[in-house]
Amino acid sequence: MSRQARNMIKYIIKRILLMFPILIAVLIFTWVLSNMMSVDPILNKIPGNIIDPERYEQELRKAGFWDPWYVKLGIYLGRFFSGDWGESFLLAERTKVITFISEIFPKTIELMIFSIIIVPIIAVKFGVTSARHKDKPRDTLIRGMAILGAGFPIFYIATLVQLFVGLTLRTFTHELIFLEVLYPNNPVLDSPVPAGGVGTGFRLIDSVFYNSQIYLWDTLVHLILPVFCMIFVSLSGVTRQTRSSMLGVLDQDYIRTARAKGVMEKDVINKHALRNAILPTSHLVIGGTAGALLGSLFVEVTFNYTGFGYNMYSAIIAGDYLVINGLLVFSTIIIISGTLVADVAYTIIDPRIMY
Amino acid sequence: MEQPYVEEDLKRDRHPTDKKKGFSRYLKFYMIPGWRHPDFTATEYEIDRTKSRRRLFRRLLKPLTIAGMVMILFIAVLGVFSPWLTPFTIEHLVPPDFLPETPYLQPSPLHPLGTTRYGFDILGRLIWGSRTALTAAALPVIIGTIGGLAVGTISAYFGGKVDALIMRFCDFWFAFPVLILVIIVAPMIGNSLYNILILFGLFGIPGSTRWVRALVLQVKQNVYVRAAITSGAEKFKVMFKHVLPNAISPIIIGFFGAMGGAILGFVGIAFLGLGDEQFSDWGTDIQYGRGQWGAYYAVFWPGLFIAITAIGFMLIGDGLRDALDPRLHL
Repeated sequence: MSRQARNMIKYIIKRILLMFPILIAVLIFTWVLSNMMSVDPILNKIPGNIIDPERYEQELRKAGFWDPWYVKLGIYLGRFFSGDWGESFLLAERTKVITFISEIFPKTIELMIFSIIIVPIIAVKFGVTSARHKDKPRDTLIRGMAILGAGFPIFYIATLVQLFVGLTLRTFTHELIFLEVLYPNNPVLDSPVPAGGVGTGFRLIDSVFYNSQIYLWDTLVHLILPVFCMIFVSLSGVTRQTRSSMLGVLDQDYIRTARAKGVMEKDVINKHALRNAILPTSHLVIGGTAGALLGSLFVEVTFNYTGFGYNMYSAIIAGDYLVINGLLVFSTIIIISGTLVADVAYTIIDPRIMY
Repeated sequence: MEQPYVEEDLKRDRHPTDKKKGFSRYLKFYMIPGWRHPDFTATEYEIDRTKSRRRLFRRLLKPLTIAGMVMILFIAVLGVFSPWLTPFTIEHLVPPDFLPETPYLQPSPLHPLGTTRYGFDILGRLIWGSRTALTAAALPVIIGTIGGLAVGTISAYFGGKVDALIMRFCDFWFAFPVLILVIIVAPMIGNSLYNILILFGLFGIPGSTRWVRALVLQVKQNVYVRAAITSGAEKFKVMFKHVLPNAISPIIIGFFGAMGGAILGFVGIAFLGLGDEQFSDWGTDIQYGRGQWGAYYAVFWPGLFIAITAIGFMLIGDGLRDALDPRLHL
């Protein structure tokens, strides 16, 4: 094993160990937050919300209301690491939070995977084109699109697209083009998995496995618009970043040298320039992927897509504090591991970086 | 042998053996369409170079930047003169007051853009909302930048344990999704407008701290900083008089770009229904009219105004970046 690879593994192990103090700090912080929440956890647990003082006190004692704070915190941390994240009492009654997350998270992945795959490919192409033809019509077009994506709020674009495809297009084509985007999924098509079958939780994969094409079409139709909005919005940031770093690189002397010695323009751009300009972009893409996995709150709320962000929002509105807590901790875990992956990926993209 | 033309030709930067005068020498080239005299091109290039280097404003005034300034000026005019621009006072445009109008009216002479939920005039809410929007853009960024400047400078300048402590805290803070945190914390402390904006500002401090720290560390390497320390200047004097003014230009550039982001964030909070109903606010308008497919104008106009403000700030930020510090990648 070479020295660099060994250093790399050492570094990864060190980073994973460093994640634990941050995780515990995050847990303590979320614990403080959930203590600050003004929701009464007991009242919601008693069926029918009947305030019977004795029963109320009994429940409080059972929940450990009069324990000192360090006992509460200890119990909280202990239960967290043993996998007991509590139960939801409003959103999905009597469901464990971990089960709840495992139910909703595949939906968000399904929504985001398209934009995660498509955006870097298109955006880098756009950014390079825009930098090569600086101040030409093509550049102006791409920059204009990028600034529209960055300046318009995502929920506004989502609402307008919904209106256009769901209502205007349908009316003006006399229902020739009719995508059921304004309506929820067909309730008859509850799940493609037959009774007793094993499902992955991903609706697309399930419907392909069990060969239910109606279900596949129903899922796809409801995915088109959210995916379009996600792509349109996340495209702008990556394009702008690629363009500005590409412009910086194209000014350099070695690009002129490469052109002077007769390297093909294609190779100058793809090999000399792009490889040097890609690092800030990759930071944005890989770092953004962790954030994208959590789903765009606004897209999910606008399209009523019951993924991670939508459930986060409804939990906050309803005051289901254990779900909020669980989702927040889960998202921080994803972000922390995302930064770790990003740091490791840098060494692959830019071999000069060593740890 | 005498060479009478030498002095004159040297002045014109021409080789002394070149006997022909300018015009006759290039006579045959004048026939080629699109050909230009090289001297002329050189002079023009020289003028362009000195001109563009000399004046900041000439570099700043690109068409796109001007467009951004016009947008912000437009919003600012709406904000400053709002009592004169609309017959409705702010009391008639926020929830406790209900006009006898029906909600979601079509555009009419009394309500040029129609009405929104509870019968509020859309144009009036747009005009009064520009005040909220400008506040929402400015306040979080001012708090975040000033806080980041103070903490970042201290962190970079003192180094050692202080630096390590502050940086670990920043690492910890970056593990959180900021927007979700604001949504969680804002209802706890009561979601009035200024509470939300101050929260946004405070949660933005770690990000700007890390950035300012990197800038200050660069400036600290300069010789004049060491000279000031050697000649016995106080720590705070060196910090705020020698280091900070030299690191301030990227911070000013970042300020405008961040303002565009701040207004989008605040509008998002309002869209989720956590905004302050006591103020006229574009995000709340979009939230009101979201499901009303027959009254799309109740959503269309507020969103357009949000975009005008955000894009205006972003364009100004981009223009400043190109003028002051083209190598900076934001």
